[in-house]
Amino acid sequence: MTENPADTAPTGTTGATSEPAAGQTRDLSGARDMIVCEDVSKWYGDFRALDKISATIKEQEVVVVLGPSGSGKSTWIRCINRLEQHQEGRIVVDGVELTNDLRNIEKVRSEVGIVFQQFNLFPHLTVRDNITLAPIWVRKRPRAEADAQAMALLERVGIPEQADKYPGQLSGGQQQRVAIARALAMEPKIMLFDEVTSALDPEMVKEVLDIMKTLALSGMTMMVVTHEMGFAKEVADRVIFMEEGQIVEQNTPELFFSNPTEDRTKLFLSQIL
Amino acid sequence: MSELSSVTGNITIPYTPPPETPKLPPREWVKENLFSSKFNSILTVVSSILLLAIARGLLSFIFNPERQWNATATNLRLLMTQAYPESQYVRIWVCAAILLILTSVSMAIWRTARVVALPDLGRRLLSRGAILALLTLLAPFSGRATLIWLLTAAVVAGVGEGLRRFTNDDQATTTLTLLLVTLSGLVGSLWVVPYGHHSFLMDRTPRVLAEPGTVAMTTKLPWTIMLLIAVAAYFLGGFLRERLPVNATRITVLLLWLMAPPFLLYLVLRDPSFEMGHVFGTDIPIFGVYAVLGSALLLWLSRPSTGEAGRIVAALVLIVGCATFLTPMRMIVRLDMLLLAAFALAAHTFSGGPRAQKRYIFGWLGVLVVMSWMVTAINTPSTVKVPGGFFIGGLSLTLMVAIFTIVISFPLGLALALARTSTMPIFRLLSTWFIEFVRGIPLITILIFFSIMVPLFLPKGMHLSEVTAVVIGYALFSSAYLAENVRGGLQSVDRGQHEAAAAVGMTTAQKTIFIVLPQALRAAIPPLVGHCIGVFKETSLLAIIGLFDILYIARYVMPNQTEFMGSTKENVLFVSAIYWIFTYQMSKASQRLEQRTGLGER
Repeated sequence: MTENPADTAPTGTTGATSEPAAGQTRDLSGARDMIVCEDVSKWYGDFRALDKISATIKEQEVVVVLGPSGSGKSTWIRCINRLEQHQEGRIVVDGVELTNDLRNIEKVRSEVGIVFQQFNLFPHLTVRDNITLAPIWVRKRPRAEADAQAMALLERVGIPEQADKYPGQLSGGQQQRVAIARALAMEPKIMLFDEVTSALDPEMVKEVLDIMKTLALSGMTMMVVTHEMGFAKEVADRVIFMEEGQIVEQNTPELFFSNPTEDRTKLFLSQIL
Repeated sequence: MSELSSVTGNITIPYTPPPETPKLPPREWVKENLFSSKFNSILTVVSSILLLAIARGLLSFIFNPERQWNATATNLRLLMTQAYPESQYVRIWVCAAILLILTSVSMAIWRTARVVALPDLGRRLLSRGAILALLTLLAPFSGRATLIWLLTAAVVAGVGEGLRRFTNDDQATTTLTLLLVTLSGLVGSLWVVPYGHHSFLMDRTPRVLAEPGTVAMTTKLPWTIMLLIAVAAYFLGGFLRERLPVNATRITVLLLWLMAPPFLLYLVLRDPSFEMGHVFGTDIPIFGVYAVLGSALLLWLSRPSTGEAGRIVAALVLIVGCATFLTPMRMIVRLDMLLLAAFALAAHTFSGGPRAQKRYIFGWLGVLVVMSWMVTAINTPSTVKVPGGFFIGGLSLTLMVAIFTIVISFPLGLALALARTSTMPIFRLLSTWFIEFVRGIPLITILIFFSIMVPLFLPKGMHLSEVTAVVIGYALFSSAYLAENVRGGLQSVDRGQHEAAAAVGMTTAQKTIFIVLPQALRAAIPPLVGHCIGVFKETSLLAIIGLFDILYIARYVMPNQTEFMGSTKENVLFVSAIYWIFTYQMSKASQRLEQRTGLGER
């Protein structure tokens, strides 16, 4: 991780907000496709959770997915690392198509990091072991190297002093930062964020969003499901609005928030803003 | 404070302790808790009378001059080891010494000692003294005995009061010191107090059963040596803790504990006369081949880049291992092959860099040495001859059956639970059927089946001692229940944990070993310990199939000795006390285990 330019950026504090926002000035038309979804559909029983979702996400792009609850946002990004299984259509992640082949799934999962709403840290392991477990046993790194990397990551998310504590001894915001560090330890090419601030107390939301901003600035490809409109406006390259399992509208943040074209989008925005 | 620091910055909030709850003086406490209302007062009086009546009844039973306590004192050896030959007793003492050394070293390495403030100890002693005095007054003692016991109670209470008065909370001792003082006192009393010199009643010739004086030298000398060994081992443990990396020492000690039961059993039952020509000609070469070729295979398998081909090779080794049982072959070849298959199958999960590989190979060699030695040793004829066909009986048999049942049923139950919750339909079906079938049969039926029927079904040339057959049956029975307990634990693990483990790319095996099982077993500690206690107590059913467990000896053997006709009541009371001591210790251990493992939880 040492070659990463974001290491030198101020982290975990208010510093990141003063940086120029990432999205609006970038031109990603020449970048290669990281995630390609073609007509992805999924049902839970008779309920259609995803309805022919088609979207392409470029390398280094930051996409924020918005929508009312139950609109299929979480289901969609959980399909991308196969925590949920889609039933129709294709999902191709960095050139690897997700099928039932176990080797493809393991390959994709070790390249796609995900952070959950409920943190899902391993409660019986210390913070350090939470982060190093997968690099040691999945990436087959030597322990010393994995430890050094874990400390560097904890430094980056601003809590190196908590390395030997257990998750239960940390605040919600700190736990979520550890969860981000754990995902980053696998050196993923893509990071998925599934409503990561929804379970946090208001005063802890900012510390997590700040880390996500620095991560976006460092050039990580990100898909973020969130209700934080400020984050969407500031960081996103593109906003995708979903309702009832369909993509209703997608646009750059300025146009999406100032000039929505669809009636459903307008209704949604009028309710939340 | 550090958790608030990100929000509050550098502002430090002064720490204010919570207000102290005043400690009530005894009279107030009694009033508040026992006599707070009229109804409560009535309840208190009635239940106190009931308690006193029960205590008095029990005491007048125990101290009735008609009781034949000589029966238990004289038959202690019978109760502990039954017909084990006296000339071989040194083996049992060596076993006890090994167990004590392991216990003491573990206590030092895990720092089990807790600090006890002296005033607290004083308070405890004071209440013990008061209870002792009360019991003395209740018991039907002669005047002189009452006086002696009252004096003892007064001394205990006096020491307690002295500690309470003249020490403060800063002065403390540890539970370990207290344990040492108590044990030294007990062992010392063997040399001083005239418990009586009881002879061992093996043959039926009448003789003087108890001579006055202290106990026999063959009892007090070994126990004294045991105490010294335990103390020495404790200091050794402390030394090891200081000098060696703690985790490595702990793992080594745990492995020694795992290896102890078969080794001790072997030590008690066997004195193999090794045929050196055969050992050097056959067994050692076989071991060498496995060591070299097995290591080479595992070295290849534990390389992360090996992948799919490795899994296929490992499966082939397993098939070959199973196939060796179909053709006549030396046991050592078969068992080592199965062991190699197990290591080969797990190699992918634990694969890694050169250091991880080296550790894995050393693990394989270590287990291989133990396994080969055990197989060789068991296949060699023994020279210990025990009269009557039963090797051991009494408490030793009870403990042995309980320990081996638990040790065998644990991995079996774990495997059944994992199979029942797995996604593979065949495993799930088989495991469910097995569990439901076994749970539908009474334990006695299984014990009878395994003791009588199984030897008839065995192929020619293969024979199982009755105890072995029964332990296998009992372990199968117990594993079904254990599997259900573990399954409860598995279901308590949050779905998010599975997802988080999968999301970082762990395989199912890695997820199970590193994430799911540790949490599931932690959640299942209370039912698992309850199950172990159950297994220990239900060994008393061995009496039904004619094995001489401790209850059988107390119920049927001792009351039939001419000297002790009709001593059943005393014997059964004594035996139940022994059962209680063991189960109570298990339950205390479980409580402490829960507290300890609870440290890292939510």
